[in-house]
Amino acid sequence: QEFQFGPCRVEGVVLQKLWQAFWAVKDIVQAQDNITSVQLLRKEVLQNVPETESCHLIHALLRFYVNTVFKSYRDKAVEFGILKSFSILANNFFVIVSKLQASQEKMFSTRKTARRRFLLFHRAFKQLDREAAVTKAFGEMDILLSWMEKFYQL
Amino acid sequence: VPCVSGDLSKPTNVTFISINMKNILQWNPPEGLQGVEVSYTVQYFIYGQKKWLNKSECRNISRTYCDLSAETSDYEHQYYAKVKAMWGTNCSKWAETGRFYPFLETQIGPPEVALTTDEKSISIVLTAPKKWKKSPEESSISMQQIYSNLKYNVSIYNTRSNRTWSQCVTNHTLVFSWLEPATLYCVLVESFVPGPPRLTQPSERQCVSTLEDQTTALEVK
Repeated sequence: QEFQFGPCRVEGVVLQKLWQAFWAVKDIVQAQDNITSVQLLRKEVLQNVPETESCHLIHALLRFYVNTVFKSYRDKAVEFGILKSFSILANNFFVIVSKLQASQEKMFSTRKTARRRFLLFHRAFKQLDREAAVTKAFGEMDILLSWMEKFYQL
Repeated sequence: VPCVSGDLSKPTNVTFISINMKNILQWNPPEGLQGVEVSYTVQYFIYGQKKWLNKSECRNISRTYCDLSAETSDYEHQYYAKVKAMWGTNCSKWAETGRFYPFLETQIGPPEVALTTDEKSISIVLTAPKKWKKSPEESSISMQQIYSNLKYNVSIYNTRSNRTWSQCVTNHTLVFSWLEPATLYCVLVESFVPGPPRLTQPSERQCVSTLEDQTTALEVK
């Protein structure tokens, strides 16, 4: 079982566990997102991503989730009693980011286009109130996991 | 005629029932109003867009379901839907679904199952279920085209020994060998896709008998 994001390979992550963790809290988390007119992970961010760009993009997105979304959402996870699922997701995202770190640094050619996609996401995030943006990003993890599933091989 | 909102309790259990991308919104009547002549109006919303949209065929209806398959046919989008009840000049507040993501939530129906038997084996050919389509003239899309990682859980049950084997396959043909001759076997198949947990719908149980063992049949003559 491994991810193969273009040239970047990540082993040792069981995607089914991430699905189960998110699905257990999906309704609670998404119910807190009242700004339904905004989608952060829009089609322009994740659709038709060439394999060669996928490593950069997933690294940028997951690093943002680890350093910003999970860091800011932890107290809410405690408040809503969803810390177990939260920890499974956060720890596994951290593992993926660490394993991607080395391989994605070697690739310079595709960085610019992948960066542009990430900035679409990041700009939409910045336009929202901080807490609302973090809640929305956490609630859109089904979109992110769905995209990651395409690069997962059993 | 505008109604006074909030005097009526809301419909309950508003949820999407989705099989092969046929997406039906259904709900229960408001508490305490079972059997009363209540009518309902439905709206839906595409996540990331701006406005709630009407479904004209589901305005002032008395049934407690509404087919939103056409409106939610882009299965990579997410949606909300809501329904309110009306009775005379009173109406309820809106009752809303959670965020509905057809790509992740639709139930994958069972495949078509074709069986052929031999003396000691049963060959099984599976055909992936078809996606819902707006009209019969539309060309069919297999759910396999949407879910390239579609798999099948095939179970075969020996009615004489009461033993069952199961096998998870991705291809569409498989053969169960080393079976007992002249024995009734029953086959059940379920489709599934890796990802979030989904409800599954097994195929109808099909039973066939393996043929007589020709060698013993000849000796008897």
